[in-house]
Parts: sequence; structure tokens; C-alpha cells
Amino acid sequence: MVVFFVIPLLLTVVWSVFERTMFWMEPGFTLFSYENFFFSARLENFVVSMLHSSVSVFFSFLIGFPIAVFIRRRVAKIAQHRVMLLFILPFMVSEIIRIFALRPILSRNGLINNFLMDFNFIDSPISAFVFTPTGVVIGEIVSFLPFMIFSTFLALEAIPNYVFEVCADLGVNRRRMFKDILLPLAAPGLFAGGVFIFVNGIGIALIPTILGGPGSVNAGLIATQAIIALDFPLAMAVSAIMMFTLMGLLFIGHKLFNLTKLLEPIS
Amino acid sequence: MTIKNSIEVKNLVKTYGDVYALKNVNLQIAQGEYFVLLGPSGGGKTTLLRSIGGFIRPDKGSVAINGKNVDNLPPDKRPTSMVFQGFALFPHMNVSQNIGYGLKIKSISKDIIDEKVNKMMNLVGLSGLSERMPNELSGGQQQRVQLARALILENDVLLLDEPLSALDAQLRKDMCIELKRLQKTVGITFVHVTHNQEEAMSVADRIAIIANGELLEQGTPREIYSNPKNKFTAEFIGEKNIFKGKVLDFNKKLINVDIIDDTIKIANLNYDIKTNQEIYLSIKSESIDIIKKNKIEKSISKNNETINGKVSEITFLGQFVRYLVVLNNGKEIQVRTNHEVKGLKLKDNVALSWNIEDFLLHQN
Repeated sequence: MVVFFVIPLLLTVVWSVFERTMFWMEPGFTLFSYENFFFSARLENFVVSMLHSSVSVFFSFLIGFPIAVFIRRRVAKIAQHRVMLLFILPFMVSEIIRIFALRPILSRNGLINNFLMDFNFIDSPISAFVFTPTGVVIGEIVSFLPFMIFSTFLALEAIPNYVFEVCADLGVNRRRMFKDILLPLAAPGLFAGGVFIFVNGIGIALIPTILGGPGSVNAGLIATQAIIALDFPLAMAVSAIMMFTLMGLLFIGHKLFNLTKLLEPIS
Repeated sequence: MTIKNSIEVKNLVKTYGDVYALKNVNLQIAQGEYFVLLGPSGGGKTTLLRSIGGFIRPDKGSVAINGKNVDNLPPDKRPTSMVFQGFALFPHMNVSQNIGYGLKIKSISKDIIDEKVNKMMNLVGLSGLSERMPNELSGGQQQRVQLARALILENDVLLLDEPLSALDAQLRKDMCIELKRLQKTVGITFVHVTHNQEEAMSVADRIAIIANGELLEQGTPREIYSNPKNKFTAEFIGEKNIFKGKVLDFNKKLINVDIIDDTIKIANLNYDIKTNQEIYLSIKSESIDIIKKNKIEKSISKNNETINGKVSEITFLGQFVRYLVVLNNGKEIQVRTNHEVKGLKLKDNVALSWNIEDFLLHQN
């Protein structure tokens, strides 16, 4: 934990205040990198990428939660983990290939547009699916949805069966079941999945690179570009900002939902 | 006087694959009765209870509650409430939220719910704990919350599935007394499933013995205890002295039974038997007198039978002393007395005597 997390984190923060040199950096203390981040278009890009990530989190919840509930409630106990395994399979393929493969599916002459045109749902192809913020959001959802399903299922799995029987005895309807029972009991899982998707959404440079348009930038891409420009302190500053954002989110989540609950069965 | 039936179960059959969980069970439970389904694990009693509650759909047969057929109704539409095995509370709700939830979802106003929840908490002895979360409660308290959550709906029947199995022995005894009191207070029908005969005896108005998917017999606790008709029942309620035998001959008053190397005379309590029929005999260990052999000349009344044996074990059990006596045919018989027999030692020859009416005959 200390070696793999705390030390790199501290180094990131330390390096982010170093002075930039031509090819590397030298010890010193300057907030120039942070100024460079907060008083430029980078901040706007960062905020926009947070917004996109939030949209991805929201749709992942909309899609992932019902799937997790379905697996918990309708799939036979012995088959549940096998079904979960299905969602791992895509991860056996390199992320670049997975995301790149979305291009021929989403593009103007892609599968989806062809399908919609063939069945006369639309007259001309929709070009918003790729090289746009929508493309980024779709890419993020496709890439990270399994995590939402996983962590939500984990939380739902910990709900004892009697809870559902008591609901049947009391006559709890679907809406009530969702609002009063499933949502609060799955909250730690939903939160964990949400944070994961959010952080990856702002951090992984591949998705905006491959699916976003020319102006599509997230924090990961800003850092990558800074490294390409040999501005290491700036890259470190961006990384540090991302990490603090994550830690802040986790802290809030832990205060609200007590995330340790995820790992222990409900007594 | 006609007692109205609260629950009427007719020809209930339920199978899981090839296994019969219920084989043609018929049962009537009167209104306001505390009825216990007693039997070993896997015997079908929980399946029966769940069929009454609507959690299981039987393959055949019907269930009627208060004279109305409920076969096609889901659990919440039946006039029943269930107390589940284990501590089945909503883990994320506190005590009063748990109790009031059944009313909350019926969109009843908050004031009325609060009032009823308070009343219920007093009734089951939970006053002052309304803000506690389930994981801050003891096992007994959690079961009280379950009771309150079920009773607050004011249904006509309360179904209890092994409600005390997760509690320790002393607490279980206390809760038995409370359950009985509670049932008298609310006056509704309780159907209670348990595998613990002591628990069953202490709460029940009537008991049904259920094993292998069949209802073997039913009766008041006294009937079941002192006159079990079935060998299984006798065994299940803790009879140790069960002998296999064969009817030698019988008349209206007496039956002679061959128990291998010995013959026992027992009273004929209108048994339906034939000569040479294989049967089982049982006698309660406290119904046998143990007498040291050299005192055998002491008068033994003509209604008593005696048999000879040798003491093989003496165990002091606090309130009782238990003697194991080996008979001439090698069979062991258990005798329980509430005082030690003076001067009786291991390997002493003894005579056992009993009233011929204390030996019971079981068909199978």
C-alpha cells in the first residue's frame, strides 16, 4: 500500500511543484503548473470531461442497475457467477482494440446507422455517434458498464433472500422495492461503480483519442499531451488534481454509505 | 358447539423433483388456536407453512383461510403474516421503520403508523428501542421486531417459521412464554413450526406431528406426550424405551406381546391388532419402578407387570436419577426416578415393575 500508492502519490505532488527545464525538471517550489492548469482552457476541458463522465455514470447506472438486479433476482443462484463471468470476457481483449472496434459500429456507415437506415427508422445516417462527446460517452459506457454491474451485483448479492420474502409478505410493489429496499441496500455498490467509471472517464486518454472529435479532451489526455510536450511538472499537477478529486469522492462516499459494507455480508 | 375453522388444508401435495415434500396432507386449524407443526428437519412442516402463507405453490390440493379459498392469492393478499426463520429484518431500517414498513407502503398516514408502531412496541416489549438498528439488537429483540412487524398488519393468522431456533436455550424458554401470552392477547390464530418438542409442548393448544411429508398425528400436547399413537411420534418426543414385538394373543382387556426371550402383558386400549402382528411397544422411563431384587417379595399389585434385569449404568441428572437396566434378552431399558434408590449399585439384580396401562402399543 505504502510502496504502490502513498509514495507515488507523494512523488506526484512533489514533482508537480518542481521547476520545468528543457527536457526534464529540477527541484524547486513553484505553483506555475497549477496556474497553467487552472488559468487556461485546460480547466474548462477538465470540467467538461467531468461532466461527460457524470453522464456516463448516469447511463451506466440506468443500464447496469437493472441488469444487476435481474441477475440477483431472476438467475438461479448457481448460474449467477457464471453470468458475471460473461461480463469479464470483453476484458480479455486489449482496451485499444475494444474501443477501436466501436468505430466501425458507430460511424456514419457503421453497423448501427446501417441497421437504422435499413429498417427505415432514419433517413440519413446519424453522425453524432462518433468523434463527438456522445461518442466518448458511448465509449465509456461500453468500456466500463461491467464495473457498474459487478459492484452493484456484489452489493445486491449480500442482501439476504428473506428480505425479498418479507417484501412479498408485506406486498411491496416494484416502485417501493426499488426506492426503499434495492436502492439503499445497493448504494455502496452503486457508488463504488460510479466512482470507478467517473475516474476512468476523466483519466483514460484512449477513449477521447479514438472516439472523441478533435476538441475532445479529458484529464488523462491533458497529462499525456503535457508529457509529449516534455512539461512533466504540468503532467504531475494534472495527475495530482485527478487523485485528489478521486480521494475526495471516496471520502464523501465512505461518509455517506460506509463502503466497507460492500465487503461484508449484511447481518 | 361448532368451532369455526381458521385454516383448512385439503389433500396438499408438493414435490421437489422426485422428492415428496408433502404427501396428501389434510389439516384443520380452529380460529384463535395456537397450533404447532412439529417434526424433524426436512419433514415438510416448513413447506406446509409456506403453502399456507402463499410462498410456495403446492402441486395439488387447496388451502382455505376463514372459509375462503386462497390458492391463487400471493402472500400479501392472504390474511396471513409471517415471522421468518432467523432474524429477518430490513438491515437498513431502524426498529420503528421495520415495524411500520408494512403500513407505510399502504399509504397510511404517518400519525396513525406512529401510534400503531408505539402500541406494538409496547406489546412485544421493545419500548425505548425505536431508533436502534437491527445490528444493535440482541437475537431476542430482533425476533420481537419481526413479531411486531407481522402483527401490526392485523391479519387473522400469524405464521411462525422456526421463530426461536436461532436463540439460546434459556431465551427460547422465555420467548415461549411470551409468544403464548402474546397469542392470548391478540387472539388470532398462530401456526408455529418447530423441531423442538419442548418448545412445541410449552406453547401449543394443539400439535401436529409431521415427518416425511406426512401428517402422522395431531392432538393436544398432553395427548401427544402421554399417548403417542405412532412409533415415530414416541421416538420424536423423546421416548427411549421402544421395543419391537409380536402379538401372541389378546382379549378385550389384555394383550400378550412377545419381545424376544420375554413376554409382556399390556392393557388393550382398543387397539386394532391381529395375532402375530409385528408391533412396537413403548413405555416412559418415569413410569417404571425399579426394585432391588431381594425386596421382590414386597407385594406388587395385580395390575402390575415385572421383568428382571441388571443395572448397567447410573446417571445423576439433578432433578432425576437415570438407571440403565439390561434385560435377560440383552435389551436395555431406561428408568428415571426423582430420588435415588437406596443401596442400588451397578450390576445389582433388579426387578422392574409398571402398571400394564403404561405400556403403549404402536402400529408402526
